[in-house]
Amino acid sequence: MARRTRTGYRDVFSTCHPAINFFYFASVMLCGMFFLHPVFLGISLVGSVAYAILLKGERTARFYLWGLVPSILLMALVNPLFNHQGVTILLYVNNNPLTWESIAYGLAAAVMLFSVASWFSCYGVVMTSDKFLYLFGRVIPALSLVLSMALRFVPRFQAQARVISNGQKCVGRDASNGNLVQKLRNGMTILSILVTWALENAIETADSMRARGFGLKGRTSFSLYRFDSRDRCVLLVLLGLVAVVLLGAATGENDILYFPRIVVKPLSWWSAVVYLAYGALCLLPLILEGLEAYKWHRLRCKA
Amino acid sequence: MASIALQSLTFTYPQREIPALREVSLTVGEGEFLVLCGKSGCGKSTLLRHLKTVLTPHGRRSGEILLDGVPLQQVDQRTQSARIGYVLQDPENQIVTDKVWHELAFGLESLGMDPPTIRLRVAEMASFFGIQGWFEKSVTELSGGQKQLLNLASIMAMQPDVLILDEPTSQLDPIAASEFLQTVLRINRELGTTVILSEHRLEEVLPMADRVVVLEAGAILCQGTPRQVGKALKTLNSDMFLAMPAPMQIYAGVQSSDPCPLTVREGREWITRAFPQPLPRQELPGPEPDRGEAAVVLKEVWFRYERHGEDVIRDLSLTIPKGRFTCIVGGNGTGKTTALSLISGIQRPYRGKITLFGKEISRYANRELFQGMMGVLPQNPQTLFVKKTVKLDLEEILKGRGIPHQEREKRVLEMARRLQLQDLLEMHPYDLSGGEQQRAALAKVLLLEPKILLMDEPTKGLDGHMKQTLAAICQDLLDQGVTILMVSHDIEFCARYAHRVALFFQGSVVTENTPRAFFSGNSFYTTAANRMARHRFPTAITNEDVIEQWNRNKP
Repeated sequence: MARRTRTGYRDVFSTCHPAINFFYFASVMLCGMFFLHPVFLGISLVGSVAYAILLKGERTARFYLWGLVPSILLMALVNPLFNHQGVTILLYVNNNPLTWESIAYGLAAAVMLFSVASWFSCYGVVMTSDKFLYLFGRVIPALSLVLSMALRFVPRFQAQARVISNGQKCVGRDASNGNLVQKLRNGMTILSILVTWALENAIETADSMRARGFGLKGRTSFSLYRFDSRDRCVLLVLLGLVAVVLLGAATGENDILYFPRIVVKPLSWWSAVVYLAYGALCLLPLILEGLEAYKWHRLRCKA
Repeated sequence: MASIALQSLTFTYPQREIPALREVSLTVGEGEFLVLCGKSGCGKSTLLRHLKTVLTPHGRRSGEILLDGVPLQQVDQRTQSARIGYVLQDPENQIVTDKVWHELAFGLESLGMDPPTIRLRVAEMASFFGIQGWFEKSVTELSGGQKQLLNLASIMAMQPDVLILDEPTSQLDPIAASEFLQTVLRINRELGTTVILSEHRLEEVLPMADRVVVLEAGAILCQGTPRQVGKALKTLNSDMFLAMPAPMQIYAGVQSSDPCPLTVREGREWITRAFPQPLPRQELPGPEPDRGEAAVVLKEVWFRYERHGEDVIRDLSLTIPKGRFTCIVGGNGTGKTTALSLISGIQRPYRGKITLFGKEISRYANRELFQGMMGVLPQNPQTLFVKKTVKLDLEEILKGRGIPHQEREKRVLEMARRLQLQDLLEMHPYDLSGGEQQRAALAKVLLLEPKILLMDEPTKGLDGHMKQTLAAICQDLLDQGVTILMVSHDIEFCARYAHRVALFFQGSVVTENTPRAFFSGNSFYTTAANRMARHRFPTAITNEDVIEQWNRNKP
């Protein structure tokens, strides 16, 4: 159950257990935010943008291409206007030095910002409301129900506001009729009807809840998710990768000093391992997708 | 399985003199299908609410309610929650959570079942009701009929022995209602669940019932099998007959020694027996021909809600004659309500022209349009009420128009008299019954003195009596020269009262004619009376028509 949505296909990583989804996004977002080393930044950006394109399709790709690249360049150019630190002076503008370090720093900050934003947009697609509810409802069961009811209530409230507004429009009392005072008054009237309506109808909802035994002791919480063996596999890989990356961070592989002069650790076999682990981490959803595609291909060939 | 017994139950609401239920004694056997009917406000809901302790209203009560011989108060909440399922009237209000699967599991979660059991039960119910297809959807994506089915399914997941349904189809369109009732019948027949159902649209449900109980003013008027009840009501000469299916009403109007027909098929056979030979075609009087003047003209109108959306209204051309009662009928989602919003100027077409009394609608100022030209009664009358009492609410609409206070009051009282609202003026609009709310909303709209009145499904949720009241009000308005346009699923009402009927399909009018020509020309989309009698009386479309022709041909 719970592996497919109305739109049909869902990417492989989305079908993993919500706990894995959440843990994954927490790790890549935190790493993406704190690692300002250019290699790490690049990996994070590539991973997040690639996943966003996988999730949201071609349109997003175009948006990234035309929106992202110019914005990053702009930020890289704006930073040196305010920041004159650094020792590698390229030229003077109005007696202010334009340094290579401040351009690099602006570039890094821009990339960091965009990769995290991109991770967030993926998070929005993958962590649907019911996954979130499932995860945090286990900590506080009452909260899960309240959130679920709120999610039911908000769209209803909006729809009813539209209906009432149309009803009032028909007697010439819509928020778009009359002068400003009248508009405000009509708007308040609509709000007041809405509140009356909500309270009135809440009585019936309460009846329906009580009729179905709400308030009895020992309420349980049902969900569609199960932590299966694949989830266990993915979790182990995920933990392994995160461990390597953290170890790398502890040994200073991600350290970078921008000012006064850019200082990074030289490339070693260990740093290569850490880069690889971070790359695998950021590209994990795509790797899973690729593996599944390969499996399907194999099955087709055999059949 | 369970049986329920009521022993001389009497109940009075607080601060009321007259009891809502009087000496009601009733037994419902295991696996029985019981239909409870009666006029609005006769105590149906009050009675049903007594069958579940958590829903029982406060008030003075005497008598006993027994579930399998045990007084209901002594049955604990957990057992009651599981064993007695209760489906309420409004499909929207009963849904608690945001996802279909969560809603199905809600009751089971309350009962504290473990997830594997819930998984099984939910899967079972989803399969039984055929809702696997929308199992993971948000409830907002469902239609009204689907919502009510979901409510039923989430009750059935708790595997109750008794299923109580309080006017479950009053908010549904006829097709969704029929589907819902068929599912209830299936539950009764296949699972043996006891069903107690209250309903005012009896056409469909009466033939399903094992037993019918008719309530009047809180007391049982008569009970028995549908046929027995039909006979009893005929001898009692009760006006409850208005709620009965068409074959029974026709049967009551003529002299016949045959048993009372319940369904259209039985009615057809009964007529064939009475008139073995085909009769010469006889014309019945229809509404007088139109005077030719048009109130509203739509010419090749196209409309869609979004630029890249689908067309909702396609090439719609329609003329609505002045001072006449025009009805638009048709299935769900064919654009009827959208057409109303175009005529009322809430939406604008992207192609085509709409003219009101010869002037294009876009040339009317908003104020001009809604004060003295167009009156719109929305589907849900509650959306019009803004004040604490009906009277204040009615006065509110006249404010800001420079009418002196005394004049306002006079007009409100006059309107209240016309719509029979005098006794309700001091009540809160939300405390009125469905039919009363409708009248109060109509009064509010009519205070604007519209020349054109648009109504969106005004007969939804009304019982036979209230429909008659509504029809009388419409007639009164027509006499004053008001043009009425109504969108409805209620073809019986349209056949009886309309001057013109138009059939909507795919965003346009397929055919438009006088009711008699319209309904006698259709074979499926027509009234029960016509379906029953068309092989002998092809031009008869209402119960009265059939009765008249019967009596004319049978001395």
